[in-house]
Amino acid sequence: MRLNVFIWLAIPLLVISLFVKADLRDNQLDYASTKDIADINPHLYLGEMAAQNMVFESLVTNAVDGSIKPHLAKSWQVLDEGKRYRFNLRQDVSFNDGEKFNAQAVKLNMDAVLANKARHAWMGLVNEIESVNVIDDYTVEVNLFHPYYPTLTELALTRPFRFISPKAFINGLTQNGITSNAGTGPWILKDYKKNQYATFVINPHYWGEKPKLAAVIWHVIPDRQTMLMALQKGDIQLIFGADGDMVDMDSYENLANTGRFTTLMSSPIASRTIVLNSKRPITSDVKVRQALSYAVDKEAIASGILNDSETVADTLMARSVPYSDVSVKTYTYNPEIARKLLDDAGWRLPSGKQIREKDGCELRLVFSYDTNNAVEKDISELLQNDFKQIGIALDIIGEEKQTYRDRQKTGDFDLQYSLSWGKPYDPASFIASFRFSGHADYQAQLGLPDKKEIDNTIGKILTSTDIQKRQQLYQWLFTRLADEAIYIPLTYSRTKVIYSQDLKGVDFNVSQYEIPFEKMYFKR
Amino acid sequence: MKNYIIHRMLMMIPLMLLISFIAFLLLNLVPSNPAEVALRVGNIVPTDEAIALMQQELGLDKPFLIRYFHWLWQILHLDFGRSFIFRTPVLTEILNALPATLYLAAATFILSLVISFSIAFLCVLTRNTWVDKVIRCITFTLMALPNYWLGLLLIWVFAVYFDLFPVSGMLSFNSVLLPAITLSFVYIGTYLRLMRGAMLNQLQQPYVFYARARGLPESRIILKHVLPNALHTTLVSIGLSIPSLIAGTVVIENIFAWPGIGRLCVAAILGRDYPMIQAYILLIALLFLVFNFLIDLLQLKLNPSLRRH
Repeated sequence: MRLNVFIWLAIPLLVISLFVKADLRDNQLDYASTKDIADINPHLYLGEMAAQNMVFESLVTNAVDGSIKPHLAKSWQVLDEGKRYRFNLRQDVSFNDGEKFNAQAVKLNMDAVLANKARHAWMGLVNEIESVNVIDDYTVEVNLFHPYYPTLTELALTRPFRFISPKAFINGLTQNGITSNAGTGPWILKDYKKNQYATFVINPHYWGEKPKLAAVIWHVIPDRQTMLMALQKGDIQLIFGADGDMVDMDSYENLANTGRFTTLMSSPIASRTIVLNSKRPITSDVKVRQALSYAVDKEAIASGILNDSETVADTLMARSVPYSDVSVKTYTYNPEIARKLLDDAGWRLPSGKQIREKDGCELRLVFSYDTNNAVEKDISELLQNDFKQIGIALDIIGEEKQTYRDRQKTGDFDLQYSLSWGKPYDPASFIASFRFSGHADYQAQLGLPDKKEIDNTIGKILTSTDIQKRQQLYQWLFTRLADEAIYIPLTYSRTKVIYSQDLKGVDFNVSQYEIPFEKMYFKR
Repeated sequence: MKNYIIHRMLMMIPLMLLISFIAFLLLNLVPSNPAEVALRVGNIVPTDEAIALMQQELGLDKPFLIRYFHWLWQILHLDFGRSFIFRTPVLTEILNALPATLYLAAATFILSLVISFSIAFLCVLTRNTWVDKVIRCITFTLMALPNYWLGLLLIWVFAVYFDLFPVSGMLSFNSVLLPAITLSFVYIGTYLRLMRGAMLNQLQQPYVFYARARGLPESRIILKHVLPNALHTTLVSIGLSIPSLIAGTVVIENIFAWPGIGRLCVAAILGRDYPMIQAYILLIALLFLVFNFLIDLLQLKLNPSLRRH
């Protein structure tokens, strides 16, 4: 009888063990992301930026120090007081389908982007380009309607101004898809299975230094816990925390403590802030907004939730961000001042109650966040406790992305998160977005009496040719926003990376959305 | 019999129409503007002009009923629209993902049957002893565990610690085993209860006493006589669990990065990909109706006395 039991239990295990096999790969990096690379046409927005950056290149690149470096353009001249940019192109570059990269290819690509202007409304440069002219085979000129200071910075972004082989265009355009992913970059997309994996191999004709890895395999693992276990097992060797929130701090530290992995954190890269809606009945009062700013214990967030992985923020943009080292009003944690401000605003605490009231109305605020984000729930709960200390009830609503965005778009919130896009988008591209109704920033600023002036100033900043003047305008903008307490800066986020100890050369690009795979290699 | 089959098949048409109407209505009641959603999932800033253009493109500027009948007409031509997320025909996406789900569901089904029948056999052999009680206790406890948690636990033990399986994906044959085992726990418990009950019931039948009187060993009686008879009575419940098995892969497909329709459905829900969600609802509804029908036919085949009614 016992033997029977044993046999019945052993048979399934034996069957299972028959299918076990080793997983061996040679000089190939297995990277995992929760997202599929999708359509990596860089003139659209469907694909993952890190994958687009592997295959498609730009005329220039943004350096860590804020300067612009040559790339497919070896040099350039700024003419007509910033209205004309002349680029001298490299002559040793080909697309990986054999097509030559030259001035004509640049013009065709830029014209294809401009033919789809509605899709690039967020980017100021697209609306500023008047024409693109071929001067000779390797010289091209970009003519602008007005001088636009972030021109080179925006030309260096991952999308849309990256170059696809004109052979891949459909009817001379790229907006309805491309026939192949032929770029000039160090990698070629060799194999792709939707929602499963993508294999990138070295572009043998790459004009620059070739990658050291033979291939990068991009695995799609939607569940974060599964991804961490895949790393522990060795199925993948790299988790790169694009967006700053791919890995929560507990998992990050636990894995670091095992001693089997190397961890790395970028320098502060983007701002994590709370935006306060100036158009809502309670938060329309500047005193209430200031009280909320004084009530947040940022140190507790940085140390208690983020385990000191992020630095406390006092200003909307870190002072290291261009034009952001300005003197503005800051709000350090002080519940006493917060209470006084609320008293002054008429919100009194009735005896025996915990929530303040005014004209019979409770001081109750709505705070919504996207449940997809790994740390936002914890921060919300801490804020709820902070606000409770000064007599404010905070209703936290965790919502899936689209509902959160619907609320954002209609301004149906008192508080919401606002994450800046990090370098090199900050501050120019980020403040440019303040003018679009779909952003929480726009909705939150709408109650300010001078919202129109704020938007006009942003326009002036972006088209100003005088650096001094531009700095003054930035100073005015940041001062207005700080005085009105529209934002509660919490921390400056950092990109977190966990990887196998055999992997070397792991580093960061300027943009948190790109991953420099070409610098990585395995220790032999 | 023929009339019955035709009648049942015809009944499916109004049922599917009703389901399609409810699916269309419910998704139209969601406050998000589908045009705006379509733009957002494509990472396009939803300016007023872009929204107006997209509304026109999606036909959202027309009245509700016209849109519904237009959608229905398209479905009759096997056109489920284009996915907001992937920008490809919904049907293509579903047909690409369906084999993976069917593969997982089939593996789960076979595994559940083999394991539950084996355990049921063991329980019947050792009925009312501590072995029977312990096995049932463990099975029902495992059945009660949330399968996302169980999935992660199994990955940790069998993939990470013992290194027997890949953690996720669908790259080799053994990748299907862990998700199938995880999914099968729910069904093992259900089938075990049914099989054990049916077999114990059969053991009371006169033919069993006769077999015992002939001196046949207990295990042979159960395997050769009791099991086939018990199968008849459990077939209906087992058959009905197939569509719910296909529909129930949603969470597990996400945890194990399994590229099936469950994952497609989760992505569609999170991204408010309306055409995809509507097609998914119709597909699952159709599966339930078809399997219901097939099981009823099978019952008629197995039990001729039902045909008289």
